[in-house]
Amino acid sequence: MSHANAVSFTILAASFLIVTVIGFAAARWRPAEDPMQLNEWGLGGRGFGTFVSWFLLGGDLYTAYTFIAVPALVYATGAAGFYALSYTIMVFPIVFVFGPRLWSVARARGYVTPAEFVRGRYGSQGLGLAVTLTGILATMPYIALQLVGIESVLAVLGVGSRSGNALVRDLPLIIAFIILAAYTYLAGLRAPALIAFVKDTLIYVTVIVAIIYIPGRLGGWGHIFGAASAHLKTVNPATGKPFGSLVVLPAGEWAYATLALGSALALFIYPHAVTGVFASRRRDVIRRNAAMLPAYSLVLGLIALLGYMARATPAVNAGVAAGGGNVQLSVPLLFQHMFPAWFAGIGYSAIVIGALVPAAIMSIAAANLFTRNIYKEFFRPRATPAQETRVARLASLVMKVGALGFALELNKTFSINLQLLGGIWILQTFPAVVISLYTRWFHRFALIIGWAVGMAYGTIQAYQTPGGGQQHFGASTAPVFGHATYIAITAVLINLVVAGGLTLIFRATGLRDGYDETRPADYCADSAPAPAAEADARSTVTAAP
Amino acid sequence: MAQPAASGRKPVTRGVVTILLIVAIGGALVVPIYARSLPKLGDFPFFYWYQLVWVPVVAVACWLCYVLLRTKPAPAARSRNSGSRNSGAANGGGLQK
Repeated sequence: MSHANAVSFTILAASFLIVTVIGFAAARWRPAEDPMQLNEWGLGGRGFGTFVSWFLLGGDLYTAYTFIAVPALVYATGAAGFYALSYTIMVFPIVFVFGPRLWSVARARGYVTPAEFVRGRYGSQGLGLAVTLTGILATMPYIALQLVGIESVLAVLGVGSRSGNALVRDLPLIIAFIILAAYTYLAGLRAPALIAFVKDTLIYVTVIVAIIYIPGRLGGWGHIFGAASAHLKTVNPATGKPFGSLVVLPAGEWAYATLALGSALALFIYPHAVTGVFASRRRDVIRRNAAMLPAYSLVLGLIALLGYMARATPAVNAGVAAGGGNVQLSVPLLFQHMFPAWFAGIGYSAIVIGALVPAAIMSIAAANLFTRNIYKEFFRPRATPAQETRVARLASLVMKVGALGFALELNKTFSINLQLLGGIWILQTFPAVVISLYTRWFHRFALIIGWAVGMAYGTIQAYQTPGGGQQHFGASTAPVFGHATYIAITAVLINLVVAGGLTLIFRATGLRDGYDETRPADYCADSAPAPAAEADARSTVTAAP
Repeated sequence: MAQPAASGRKPVTRGVVTILLIVAIGGALVVPIYARSLPKLGDFPFFYWYQLVWVPVVAVACWLCYVLLRTKPAPAARSRNSGSRNSGAANGGGLQK
């Protein structure tokens, strides 16, 4: 390790230490009367107001995907990678519409996970299980993506030996993950919520400095866009086509739009995003945050531009080539070559902590799913809240081990495909989770079969798509009627058509419907005293003073 | 699904909110609007500065919708004395399966 890297690493290690202390201390933040309630461990007591929620959701939704995967894609392919900005623009008007209804029904009925809502809405254990398994499955590659982000920083720093033994090579990553697992186990959602303050501060500082300082060193934005454009025009020897373009070409517009829309529809049905939403204190918090969270989207847009800055830095291009063409290294390398060592350390801390926070929330969300929808539903219907909490804590450890395996084993040419694969799966629960908030027209069995068809189609299609030097799972778009389309969108449309058609058949044959335990008023419930207009709403929802 | 959860709101309000949200989403979804390099803003091709500018536009649109749909005038003031973090009702409310 060079002297400069040693300085950066010291800063990174210090930040990690501070965050670890905060993580353990979080167990005493806003202490609960009874911490052995799943509401407390898994949802932070459902008590976060607008301010804390803004940090928590920002820390939750903007992950290593934002800091590593998106700029890497922009670095390699140019404008096509900017779909992520379009996606994070669209996601907030979308959650503005359905987020409050989902929050209300969960609050009114005590649901901790989206799968519990689906189960209650349709009286169907099978449908609840389908949503649960999909949530856990889709979360795994997303956590793995966080680890890839941490790995890329460690690789640039030269941490870890070049040993052939994976356990030795990835030891720093494994240690970091064990510590993360320990404070998540202890403090639950309070740990990432409190650490999110540190994370978001580091991110904003790093991005603002980068966006002001680096272009000056590189000869201005004109030079940056020029260098990127020159690279993107050159022909990729592997495909015989140019690497990309500076503006999306007409042939790429459909892929751009469907990737953005599919990702936007998927984001807020991911278990970790729902966990962040359910942790809000009041219904209004979600709508206010839909207006305030775009501040992070702006940051995402600026971070995406770091991909072009990396392209305009010859030392970064050399470093990526030396790393076996691993474009995930482009942003850490950019920090290494552009910033003084200490500030590069701040930037690395931002990336690493920026990956730890969502990884913690994702494992909590998956643990909540397991506890409420598998353990309690199928094994221990009479489990006490304390038993639930214990099981959830253990499950969060198991989830992390699973994700670690995912990350250490999987090919990471384009880590973004991990997230896009998760998106294909989770979007298949959209009809059951989101459309059900408005109508119960679909028959429960039709939804299950539609889900199964969508999952099968999406997985097979993704498996068959080569790209990035891989035979399988190489890309997330596949042609439909001559247009490259995000597989998630095609799959969910097939899902809806199947579910719709079967619903008509099942209704005609009089197949029995499940019992809906929710009431119309649940969908507008709030935790504050209900106004006169909603006086007939279930007043029991009103929280104790 | 583009029906905001605004039971009891005036149709005009709901219409305005729906239009605002559709425009906000459409401005990002309809890629041909911004898949061009001119006019430039400084050295930024249109493709980039349009999307970066659209972010605050959407934020303002969402805030307007929030204000239009808000049922209670001052939620911030009330929350302070309610102290309702620990949701006993939510805990026990719906768990009898």
